[in-house]
Amino acid sequence: MKSRQKKPKLSERPMFETVTSVLYPLLFGAVIFVLWETELLHRMIGTTESILPTPSHIADIIANNPSKLFGNLMMTMLPTLIGLALGSLLGYGVAVLAAMFGRWGAGGLTIVSCFNAIPIVALAPVFNNLIKTVTSDITIRGLTAKVLVIIVMCMSSMSINAYRGLTQLQPFGEDLMATYGADRKTVFLMLRLPNSLPYIFTALKVSLPLSVISSLVSEYFIDTVEGSQSRPGLGRMIRSNILNAQYATAWAYITFACALGVALYIVLMLISKRVLKNRGK
Amino acid sequence: MNMKKFTRLTCLAAAAALSVSASLVSCGDSSTEYYTASQSHSEIIKDAAGKGKVGNWGLGNEYEIQALLAKYNLPTSYLSQAFDMDGFDSDEILLASAMTYNELGLVINDYEGGYGYGNKVSTIDMNDEGVAMLEDNIFCTKEFAKENPNTVKAFVAASLKGWKYACEHPEEAAQMVYEAGSSVSADHQKFMASEVAKLVTTDTKGQKVTNYGNIDREAMQQTLDLAKKYIKLDDSAASARLASMTLDEICDDSFLTGAIGEPEKTSVKIQLKWLPQSQFMGYYVAAAKGYYDEVGLSVEIVSGGGDIGETTAVSNGTVDFGVTWVSNLIAANAGGMELLEVAQIYQRSGLVLVYKLAQ
Repeated sequence: MKSRQKKPKLSERPMFETVTSVLYPLLFGAVIFVLWETELLHRMIGTTESILPTPSHIADIIANNPSKLFGNLMMTMLPTLIGLALGSLLGYGVAVLAAMFGRWGAGGLTIVSCFNAIPIVALAPVFNNLIKTVTSDITIRGLTAKVLVIIVMCMSSMSINAYRGLTQLQPFGEDLMATYGADRKTVFLMLRLPNSLPYIFTALKVSLPLSVISSLVSEYFIDTVEGSQSRPGLGRMIRSNILNAQYATAWAYITFACALGVALYIVLMLISKRVLKNRGK
Repeated sequence: MNMKKFTRLTCLAAAAALSVSASLVSCGDSSTEYYTASQSHSEIIKDAAGKGKVGNWGLGNEYEIQALLAKYNLPTSYLSQAFDMDGFDSDEILLASAMTYNELGLVINDYEGGYGYGNKVSTIDMNDEGVAMLEDNIFCTKEFAKENPNTVKAFVAASLKGWKYACEHPEEAAQMVYEAGSSVSADHQKFMASEVAKLVTTDTKGQKVTNYGNIDREAMQQTLDLAKKYIKLDDSAASARLASMTLDEICDDSFLTGAIGEPEKTSVKIQLKWLPQSQFMGYYVAAAKGYYDEVGLSVEIVSGGGDIGETTAVSNGTVDFGVTWVSNLIAANAGGMELLEVAQIYQRSGLVLVYKLAQ
């Protein structure tokens, strides 16, 4: 006797869903791209190529100055990663403290999360001026100021998420540990820490793009050496090219800034997939 | 042996450096080395550049400073300077960029927002150094100039009448600007008006200028030549356009003279390069004294500030006229815009490098 399953409707097949969720956006993107490249888009929105440069013009600039653009990219990426790492570590530390001292921990976290509400445009000049006396090396000073801004921006998302991971344990997990007679240290290492792992990645997914943005925006306000041999970050280059009405070049830097954010995010997703591979089984 | 030689050389170099710097050290108790009035500009510039303490705002304002550094065979890098003079005040910048009418006034004077240095500072003038680039002008798009020649002529004539009155009565002009919505104090506004009047009525060689708005081709050519040298563009198409640019592609003095017919467009806007201040007093005076009404124009003055791009605003038609520096117009045209200067308001560079004098 045949017990063949009823064939699902076309629109319910997984293949079809892939087509609609991937192909349609791609198609839409392609249409915009063609309109943009052929400058039909310019006619539709009433602008000129000098203000909205075509993709091929932007690609040309990238192809002609790869080493220069990568140099600028490094000046943005380096503080982004350092700031993200330090800020997240600090945030995790705060979460551990908050989890250890339960009574005032949650309240303390609320205060930490207030830092997140300070806009980058306010923080960047403050840190820039704050460390003026620390070193006279402008490059190091600029990097340090950027790192400090990113640390503040990243700290709260990590501390709040990690706190959740450290405290919202599996039901009876703590009871089980108690029956083992485990001390606080063991509970922390064997139960709380592993439990917080997915939350760490949740926090990083939020704070990674945030730290890229913080790095770019703080470059608007931070001291740099400009001219012959220097390498300002991508944010500074975007600003100066826009002010100089070099929109195509500004777009080349914007492209690099986007690529930086996307690439770092992909790397994070890959790491997260690998680390969290065997969880929930 | 080599090592010994090296050490001896280093010691010698260090001793030489010490003696040089010792000669620069002020006799005062301050630990920073200020300069003396007897030192040559060349000596001062070389010392400050060697220490990496020459400041400029960058973002398109840096070309004269780079030309000056190059003149003394120095690398053309500089320290980014904020839009205040705190960096100069705290000695982080030894040679700070300043506009004679704005930042220099704040450094010297002790009115609100001033640093009160009085005669304890001195300046290096870009005009005297032969690296002057022309600044505030009036421009529009080539298309607008072609389609509305009478509007352009009428606007330029009325504006220049405003500038003439403003330069002859700077205090009154400053008051008009202040009343029109000033961004700075009335005292600073007055100082600015008197300094701006000097820039409008004196050329790069120090000669008196009576024909307001005149496009001095020699000074314009120097501006274009320096722009070609120091505007660095990553866009190969733009940099090719810059390299082959001629004066006729950026300015046209035919709108300064001749009979003015009926304006084609009677309601126009002008985009300033910065916030309302005496830097733009001519337009405020022309509006307040009704000079624009006389030529049949209704003019809206749009103030700038922050990251407003006056070249972009004019190019995309948000406004009809704009005030910008010639170097910014050159860069914008290299980037593909079609802008045209129709009058040159400032006849000499207002940029100086200011330094503290040892007391």
